[in-house]
Amino acid sequence: MDRNTVLKVIIPTIIVLFAIVSFLILTGLASENPDGFEWSLFEWAGISEPEGGFGGVFSFLGEGPIVDVITGGIGIVAILIIAYLFFKIMSRKSE
Amino acid sequence: MHVPDGVLPFWVYILFLVTSLPILGFAIRNVNKRFDDRLTPYMGVLAAVIFAAQFVNFPVPPASGHLVGTTLLAVMLGPWAAMVIIALVLFVQALYGDGGFFAFGLNFFNMGFLGAILGWGISLILFRALREFWSEQISVLAAASIAAFITTVTSAFVLGLELLTIPGLSFEFVFIITGIHAFIGVGESILTFVILLYFVKAAPKMIAFLKDSDTGRALRMAEAATPTQTIEGDI
Repeated sequence: MDRNTVLKVIIPTIIVLFAIVSFLILTGLASENPDGFEWSLFEWAGISEPEGGFGGVFSFLGEGPIVDVITGGIGIVAILIIAYLFFKIMSRKSE
Repeated sequence: MHVPDGVLPFWVYILFLVTSLPILGFAIRNVNKRFDDRLTPYMGVLAAVIFAAQFVNFPVPPASGHLVGTTLLAVMLGPWAAMVIIALVLFVQALYGDGGFFAFGLNFFNMGFLGAILGWGISLILFRALREFWSEQISVLAAASIAAFITTVTSAFVLGLELLTIPGLSFEFVFIITGIHAFIGVGESILTFVILLYFVKAAPKMIAFLKDSDTGRALRMAEAATPTQTIEGDI
């Protein structure tokens, strides 16, 4: 990845996305894990949430908006790096 | 639309894993053939955009919904890259406990495969029809927004059918989940329009449907079996 791309695209994207996600979480607009939609519908249909399910790799940090902001930020950086590396490996080498 | 583990019968999860993994492998193979590594930073950025956009929850009583973004990705990158990005997003979300690991195949089938194929196909048909009357930019915005709505509702209907494998669930549930997704689809449509509008204004080269776009060229290149062309300019 060249320096121009990092400066012009990657870093501003991370900053903007982190700001948006932080705002959404702190104002209570972000989806929950597992997000509200499934459980409210499943509960309506009489299906209860399974006990002891996987709570996520950050479940040891507990719950709360600050934890969500931090883990959300980590997620954005993580998916960016994972997708970059994945496509770097999987895509054709430029000629 | 993220189905967690432990809700559907185990054989359904296995069935969809067995179905989805070869599809994902095929998508990766197509990405390998069509995209070169100069586009990889944008793939990473779009994956992060979709991951972040899926945090935005809008209420649809008695439930809530969020952007899936597969149609948006399909219009920008084509169906195969869209599938791969959604697969990566679903994997990271599963690490966060949002959508199950065993349910990965089912979630990928609904949001990745169906979303990309339907979203891309419907968008392409509408885009070709609309550009006879409007500019390419307006046509792609309208086509993607309409396709996003149709794709969301159709995927929800398919999800409803899959959920019928839960013992005791009535067919009425399929209509309810589809009906709720008609409203969620409106949200998906609006968010697709807004995000795509940004890219139409700021980075039209990233939209495969538009002439002279980098991603569109990458998609057409393999089909035409022409040598790699230099990607000019920047977004």
